[in-house]
Amino acid sequence: MKKILGRLVLVGALAGGAVAVGNYLRKSAPSGEEVVQISFDDNTTQPLSASSVEGQEFTDIARKLVALGV
Amino acid sequence: MATEENTASNGGLERVVGDLRALSEDMRSCAVLSADGELHASSHAPGVDRERAAAMLAALRDLAERAARENGKSHVSQVRVKTEEGHLLLVRLDSGGALAATTGPDARVGLVLYDMRNARGEVDKALGEGKQP
Repeated sequence: MKKILGRLVLVGALAGGAVAVGNYLRKSAPSGEEVVQISFDDNTTQPLSASSVEGQEFTDIARKLVALGV
Repeated sequence: MATEENTASNGGLERVVGDLRALSEDMRSCAVLSADGELHASSHAPGVDRERAAAMLAALRDLAERAARENGKSHVSQVRVKTEEGHLLLVRLDSGGALAATTGPDARVGLVLYDMRNARGEVDKALGEGKQP
């Protein structure tokens, strides 16, 4: 019984560690999410991801404007 | 100083922007940028923050117009940028200016943009009236 409990604790600890590492990696990885959407006069749209240089230019300014208000 | 004069002479524009903010409850702040990069109506009192907001809005509009040129398009019609704290929305006016707004992160952005697009005509009209001597 003691042996089983010990193994259960070990498995639980390993699972917890795996979840924590996964979350850490997910947070530190650059986001490829589309955060900028530019629509043109011909009704076409260009999405930009947060990881692109162009997307970062937009988000850097937008972040300040959202905090400051317009 | 010029900004203060614009605020005083643009009562019509302030009213249009006020009506838009009242209509679109998810909107946190709203501003009108003219084609020459001047802020004609905004949530800010005249001062440093207002000038800073005008400069940043003009920079964002220029970035969007550059993206249009690079893609072989004539103009940008609207821009939406998602940040952790909320959204920044920009709608181009026929006069070459822009109507800008910020929202919270959980705002119904499509609805806010719809209201902004509907207000474009009135904003342009009020902007034109404000420029007349």
